[in-house]
Amino acid sequence: MPEMIITKNLDVPGIDKLDVYRQNGGYEALAKALREYQPDDIIELIKTSGLRGRGGAGFPTGMKWSFLAKNDKPRYLCCNADESEPGTCKDRVLMEQIPHRLVEGVIITSYACKVHTAFIYVRGELAKAGREVERAVDEAYAAGLLGKNILGSDFSLDVIVHRGAGAYICGEESALMESLEGRRGYPRLKPPFPAVVGLYGGPTVINNCETLATVPAIIAGGGDWYASFGTEKSKGTRIFCLSGQVKKPGNYELPLGVPLSTLIYDEQYGGGILDDRKLKAIIPGGSSTFILSPDKVDTPLDYESIAAAGSMLGSGGVIVISDATCIVGAILRMTEFYRDESCGKCTPCREGTFWMTEILERLEHGHGHLKDVDLLMDICDNLAGKSFCPLGDAATSSITSGIRQFREEFEYHARYGCCMVSSNEKKQQQPTTASEPVGTH
Amino acid sequence: MISEQAKQRMRELASRYPMARSAVMPSLHIAQQEEGYITPEGLRAVAEAINLTVADVESVATFYTMYYQKPQGKKIINVCTSISCYLRNCDSLVSHLEKRLGIKRGETTADGNYTLNTVECIASCSSAPALQVNGEFYENLTQESADALIDQLDRELGVEKRV
Amino acid sequence: MSEEKKEELVHLTIDGMPVEVPPGTLVWAAAKQAGIEIPIYCYHEKMPPLGACRMCFVEIEKMPKPPQTSCTTPVAEGMVVHTKTEKVLKARKGTLEFLLLNHPLDCPICDKAGECDLQDFTLRHGPGNTRFDLHKRHYEKPIPVSNDVMLDRERCILCQRCTRFSSEISMDNGLVMISRGYKMEVGTAPGEAFDSVFSGNTTEICPVGALTASTYRFKARPWELKHTASVCNNCSVGCNARVDTRVDRVVRLMSRNNDAVDDGWLCNRGRWEFDYVNSPQRLRTPLIRRNGQLTRASWDEALTHIATRLKEIKNQHGAQAIAGIGSTRTTNEEAYLFQKLLRQVLGSNNVDHHHGAFPGVRDQLTGKPWMMTNSIVDIERASHIVLIASDPYQRQPILNLRMKKALSKGAQIYIVNSAETELDRLATLKLQVPSGSEGMAVKVMLKQLLQNASAELPAAEDVRTHIQREEQAIRAAEDTFGAQMTTRLQSLADALLTAKGAVILYDEMATLTTGNQDLAADAQALAVLTGNINKPGAGVGPLFEDANSLGARDMGLLPDAFPGYQAIDKAGLAYDEILGNAQVKALLVMGANPARHIADGKLPGSLEFVVVQELLLTETAQQADVVLPALSFAEKDGSMTNVDHHVQAIRRALRPLPGAKADWEILVALAQYLGETWTYASPRDILLEIAEQNPFYAGLTWEDLGKQGVRSLEEQEAARV
Ligand SMILES: Cc1cc2nc3c(=O)[nH]c(=O)nc-3n(C[C@H](O)[C@H](O)[C@H](O)COP(=O)(O)O)c2cc1C
Ligand code: SF4
Ligand code: FES
Repeated sequence: MPEMIITKNLDVPGIDKLDVYRQNGGYEALAKALREYQPDDIIELIKTSGLRGRGGAGFPTGMKWSFLAKNDKPRYLCCNADESEPGTCKDRVLMEQIPHRLVEGVIITSYACKVHTAFIYVRGELAKAGREVERAVDEAYAAGLLGKNILGSDFSLDVIVHRGAGAYICGEESALMESLEGRRGYPRLKPPFPAVVGLYGGPTVINNCETLATVPAIIAGGGDWYASFGTEKSKGTRIFCLSGQVKKPGNYELPLGVPLSTLIYDEQYGGGILDDRKLKAIIPGGSSTFILSPDKVDTPLDYESIAAAGSMLGSGGVIVISDATCIVGAILRMTEFYRDESCGKCTPCREGTFWMTEILERLEHGHGHLKDVDLLMDICDNLAGKSFCPLGDAATSSITSGIRQFREEFEYHARYGCCMVSSNEKKQQQPTTASEPVGTH
Repeated sequence: MISEQAKQRMRELASRYPMARSAVMPSLHIAQQEEGYITPEGLRAVAEAINLTVADVESVATFYTMYYQKPQGKKIINVCTSISCYLRNCDSLVSHLEKRLGIKRGETTADGNYTLNTVECIASCSSAPALQVNGEFYENLTQESADALIDQLDRELGVEKRV
Repeated sequence: MSEEKKEELVHLTIDGMPVEVPPGTLVWAAAKQAGIEIPIYCYHEKMPPLGACRMCFVEIEKMPKPPQTSCTTPVAEGMVVHTKTEKVLKARKGTLEFLLLNHPLDCPICDKAGECDLQDFTLRHGPGNTRFDLHKRHYEKPIPVSNDVMLDRERCILCQRCTRFSSEISMDNGLVMISRGYKMEVGTAPGEAFDSVFSGNTTEICPVGALTASTYRFKARPWELKHTASVCNNCSVGCNARVDTRVDRVVRLMSRNNDAVDDGWLCNRGRWEFDYVNSPQRLRTPLIRRNGQLTRASWDEALTHIATRLKEIKNQHGAQAIAGIGSTRTTNEEAYLFQKLLRQVLGSNNVDHHHGAFPGVRDQLTGKPWMMTNSIVDIERASHIVLIASDPYQRQPILNLRMKKALSKGAQIYIVNSAETELDRLATLKLQVPSGSEGMAVKVMLKQLLQNASAELPAAEDVRTHIQREEQAIRAAEDTFGAQMTTRLQSLADALLTAKGAVILYDEMATLTTGNQDLAADAQALAVLTGNINKPGAGVGPLFEDANSLGARDMGLLPDAFPGYQAIDKAGLAYDEILGNAQVKALLVMGANPARHIADGKLPGSLEFVVVQELLLTETAQQADVVLPALSFAEKDGSMTNVDHHVQAIRRALRPLPGAKADWEILVALAQYLGETWTYASPRDILLEIAEQNPFYAGLTWEDLGKQGVRSLEEQEAARV
């Protein structure tokens, strides 16, 4: 098993407390950063490490930091801990179990980016995570790790933990800033990018929780050490959230570039498909990414290879679908999510997700028409690339890739008013297993 | 009723942020803690503390699903029905809870004890199916463990065993 | 345009057409300039781009992921834009289809039909038929969001123009978006109305029929309306307006953008309060008092009677027994002729109108006549705005919006007022002083400035003498204000000294409150001492009351000034004197209602003969001996001068009410009956004469006024001639 970086010591009892975290080497990276590095050196170090954002887009982190506008406005750091992409559950675990790793990452990043006020935007639903992070911040203040003259240096930092209140879109960085400013979480026009005009008009860095939690390890181990994991262009490790119809779902930290099949089938990880059924489809990076067919199961889990296979590494949420599942029902469920989470600002996303859900619903329930399948594709065409922010595009990913790969299932629904998967099951008269097939009627 | 203490906390929050307006969400959380959901009075208290109009605060409050627009039960059960839980049979979990509690999703029991909601992904995907009771997680649920959970909640609420 | 300027322009190609525009221009605006229409819903030229409706797609070469929204993309040198490619047309059609999913098909009974952007764009860009065969969203049909505005949520396309108007322009945040996603709707706070004097603008900028005016609902179809470019007659701002009429009635006023005056907005009073124009009570024939009763008469009878009586009184009591009260709402031409009639034809200098208390014809310190020294646009450039005893929201509403625009650009607002005002919520500081002591607050500030030894203050000695005389009163006022407020006033005075630009404004009529007599002069002194005069974004002056309050002054409706503030050797009686001096036997009133300013509402019994030119039988007209029916602003041509000295044209929008005459026509006729031959055939002839005599109007012609008027100032005009 490769050495773990982000999830290291995750299971040490009491690691959520400051003293235990420190006993296990916690905050040594911070001390080292303040002692040995100038802010710009840290940015260079992160560039060397090849760390890329774990929030979804995979943007090189060091480069993002170096883009900060140089002006006299106050700078801000926002930690994006609004984790809500269906299939993703890693940030929550980091915050609940080892909150100080995040806090340490926030302090080092603030130091590197010359930020004196940082926000940790914790998804509202994650009550425990919010509590733990708040407590860690309080402990850090009490220990002189936050506030004025941190560890005796002349660096000072204020951290505010801000709790969301139920809106997926606030994970999008500009909507997150709007939300932090006390408004409805509508995404903002870009440009200007946050690095130039961000929170309260100041230059702002926004990074995912896992991204920031990785920073201390890089300081401690060095950029080259971190870059020695992973592939040429996708360096390091990341947490893959394996969910769906596998035997052992869970969060697994792996170096980038490990094949999907290892994650899904290896006994250390997924251990194979639930009920030993056939693999039907894989969603590799959270519900916003395109569905991959089983023949892509050997694709290495790195940004480039997954993109070449026709999808995205996204948030690291690997969702496995077995042949027990009707694709129409599953896609309906994902589309409902985007309908409910569309902020409503732009027309195509607000109306398109509503309309697509209506059509999928009637197909699923057997009232659909054959032409609905092409209609869905055309609505997706009118939505993708036309919406204000990527949420609209994301809403179409599962539909277009799903119809391309499983068109006959959609048409079956339209023709026979029922589901191909459950009819096949009946035909084959398979004995029912412990977990009954879902998406059937 | 929004207590004076709560109002004071809202005002303090307003001065904690670089811009008073940023305190609107934490203040709404406080208002909801006080009254269980967002009432017109809660909106007014937040508006006053932060110097916004009531409509402005309402506009923010209704954007976020965690600010309840109507009274909720003492135990708010939010069952995740997003894709990873869906692939793990959350729908039968919801049906089971509906039967057990005698209400449909989105409803509150007549005695005001339980509200049953279905919600979007709660970051419990690899321990699906999952639900939250008043914000706390219960994961890898089966019908049996769900029943045990309700039994325990019933005991906490002092509810007689249901027939 | 100078060569230098030209170089700064950005060059691009739109649909093969070369276009040049200033940097920062949006592609949408550049296309508009080239005569290419790109449909929009969420974008509005007076608000920052939103990019929400996704209607304004274009394709721009070398840009990623076509199509782009033209309302959010600024032009760049060498850009190549296509507005009609297949991709663009499909995307627009797609958006329209989305918008129509839930839009009801009630166009036949919709007020907006005929001027609806959804209707128009669907015709030009939309799908021919619908592929949506499911249930549309339903909401309760129109609900009132205020007494004036109705909301039909089914028709709403959620473009957010109205709510953004409410948050970004009027900043009263009364109309907001509620919920999110497909459940989103426009609404107000629970149990609260969208009570804003600006709410009517939302009915105008709503691109569909979702927000409609309750007064206008079902009154007319847009295609039956006649539009006339004119100016609102309600207050001194002089907002440019389009008067919409239908068969001899005004049905509504709509805004008509003038960046220098109204910035595209109109307040509810201007928009809807014109009932007097359409009133069935309008006077249609002259009335003569016979046996104590006002009875109908012909124009000839009435004018003969007036001429006879005036001559009798003049013969018996002398010309000084005749006086005239002019109007703040009639045109410059009419005000001019009114004083000319009194002065030249009847030989009396007893001319005045109802106005604030200003010492002398001009301010002693600056030598300027009493008017705002800054332009309206300067308000938006100011770093400090000081409002003393004035409430523009109530009295000059559209200026309130200009102040809010300044606020969003970083200005600080200071309010010294005994009453609460709408702007208080947004002000940096509100000083609520006791009623009638706003004037003393200014004196406290002047005193502070004079104590500032380090500052070299212009005209300080003149002011010092005056302030020293008031020493005791000022100290008493400081006691009343208390230490905190006094300190705040003093710091404000200091702040004005170093301000980038301060605009100091007071309400004209506040000078009439006991205690505020010196307000005008002291405010002027405050601006002079702090150097806030004659520089951009700075100024001082009165906010006038009525549409032509300033015009009335300019035209010499003053006892001590000829037109153009030219001094008079022997001043006539002033307004209060005219109404209180028993020597006055004959009174001519044009478009004014002095009975309102008399405690018991009764004109003095010593008056033997009163003539009133009016639209309706006002309190004053009821006491007249002859009443002459006049025409409203909507039925005649003429010029008016607004609060920052924009001379603007009002134009006949309605067929004149039969039997009534424009005030200038009445005056010409009256002159004739009095034996004088005036040959003015139209207001333009009168304006020519004004332009010859009045340095503020020098060289101005009717044609010059065009659609947007001219801001004419003494200095400029002097240079121009
Ligand atoms: C609709 C949408 C939702 C997103 N949700 C999240 C989220 O929950 N957490 C997150 O870290 N990033 C999320 N992102 C990505 C952020 O916009 C942003 O790219 C990221 O926080 C940057 O951090 P990183 O560079 O460390 O990845 C989302 C993006 C979109 C378009
Ligand atoms: S695509 Fe449009 S409606 Fe959807 S979330 Fe983004 S801005 Fe909001
Ligand atoms: S007008 Fe451009 S997106 Fe609405």
